[in-house]
Amino acid sequence: MAGDDPALRVTGMSVAYGNVVAVHDATFTVGKGDSVAIVGPNGNGKSSILMGLAGLVPRSGRVEIFNAPAPAGDVMWMSRRGLTLVPERRQLYPQLSAADNILLGCYSWTRSIRKARRSAAFARAVELFPELRSHLDQQAGTLSGGEQQMVAIARGLAGDPKIFAVDEPCLGLAESVSGRVYEALARIHEDGRTLIVVEEAPKRALRICARQIEVRNGVVV
Amino acid sequence: MKFGNLIIAGLVTGSIYAVFAVCIAVWYRVANILNLAVGDFAMIGALGVDNLVREKHWSLPAAIAATLAAAAGTAYVYDRIVLRLAQDGRRRQEGIVIIFFFTFALSFFIDGVAKVLFGTNVHAAPALWAGNSLTFLSGLHLERAGLLVLACAVASGLLFTAYIRYTLSGKAMEACGENHLGARIVGIDPRRYRRIIFVMTAVLAAVFGILESPITGYTFNSGATISVTGFIAAAYGGFQKPGRAVAAGIGIGILEALLGGYVSSQYGQTLLYAVLALVVLVRPGAMGLQPAAGG
Repeated sequence: MAGDDPALRVTGMSVAYGNVVAVHDATFTVGKGDSVAIVGPNGNGKSSILMGLAGLVPRSGRVEIFNAPAPAGDVMWMSRRGLTLVPERRQLYPQLSAADNILLGCYSWTRSIRKARRSAAFARAVELFPELRSHLDQQAGTLSGGEQQMVAIARGLAGDPKIFAVDEPCLGLAESVSGRVYEALARIHEDGRTLIVVEEAPKRALRICARQIEVRNGVVV
Repeated sequence: MKFGNLIIAGLVTGSIYAVFAVCIAVWYRVANILNLAVGDFAMIGALGVDNLVREKHWSLPAAIAATLAAAAGTAYVYDRIVLRLAQDGRRRQEGIVIIFFFTFALSFFIDGVAKVLFGTNVHAAPALWAGNSLTFLSGLHLERAGLLVLACAVASGLLFTAYIRYTLSGKAMEACGENHLGARIVGIDPRRYRRIIFVMTAVLAAVFGILESPITGYTFNSGATISVTGFIAAAYGGFQKPGRAVAAGIGIGILEALLGGYVSSQYGQTLLYAVLALVVLVRPGAMGLQPAAGG
């Protein structure tokens, strides 16, 4: 649970797209090493909370990562400070190989390809899904939906994040693949990382998350 | 032998078109802007070096260094002031305005300044490798400047390929072209790559202007023709595939030389544009403005 020294502290955060308010005055904390599911019906602002946190959409309010105030809209700052987001629809680089997609996860902490390839973070990311091993040289855009999701999660892990946030990780995936994805998320959390999962199906998320934050009509309840 | 010599001449011109086409295609992938001023940077290279050497009596290396610095500085300042406001500011420009307008305006601006600085006469930078043209296979001729152009085009292509394949920065640049949002998520700043590539392509264009000008000569408004031909070659690659842009650039160069040699030396370029227009009419899919990476 969140203590005096949380991984993430959000105070009065609002996210709006033009005149449409998606998130209103959200306040919550996530402790170091905590695992939290952000749940609620579709279209109620769960993903907007993550997008606002990560700096991908404009937001107001205060966000702190390990007590450092985060500049609004600066996704690069967030990734360098240790928050990695695996977004909805994966956002891979379809013409690059799966291995290069994962390798680019290291960009948040190094510019050296040699250092990235030899790093423990890259090795951990590649080993997370052994079933990807035979597809590493394949263009990411030609992989199945499940494999693409695995690449997206592995890319996130290659950034060696302290906070791992993932948005709807099982959207459109078969049940067996969803099981593999959640196994991997559980492993990522067991390694001591803070885990935030946005999930429409709370049952699935609460198998690995210790608590939930419920969002309804853009408000944290 | 005439055919062989025309092919050689076409290869030299085509390699320049190929380089400019790649400059346009690569920057479009990353920035979603077509660089219609790329030829003007070549003109800066040619006329800048000529002016400093011939009129200011600078040494050739100093003139080249100063001119390349001027091209880089112009591109950097334009990105920091104009493109930053246009693409990153609160009043972000979208669509055709940002794709064409800002580099088109830059092209006119550079032409205007060049006209004042260098006049309207034809000039050329001093040849870097002076001497008679090289003859081989008893009848094929290649200008020394042409050989330098070919060598630099191949070297630039190899360096660019190595940059993409063997550096994380090169892969990050590819990622910007593939998916802006996906790139930002891992900490890549597409705006930084927009700036770096704009400056790099400006310098590369200036280098080719210096190398090529002893063959063709340049005036203050030569850049527009080069940009248009590079643009057409890049368009045949859908502005997304640098490999196809290279092939199209070389093809256009060879076609231009053959039309000039066998049909009409006076109307070679006019015929070239007519043939290219015909290709588009027959196969419209050959030329397509695909949207660059979104997100």
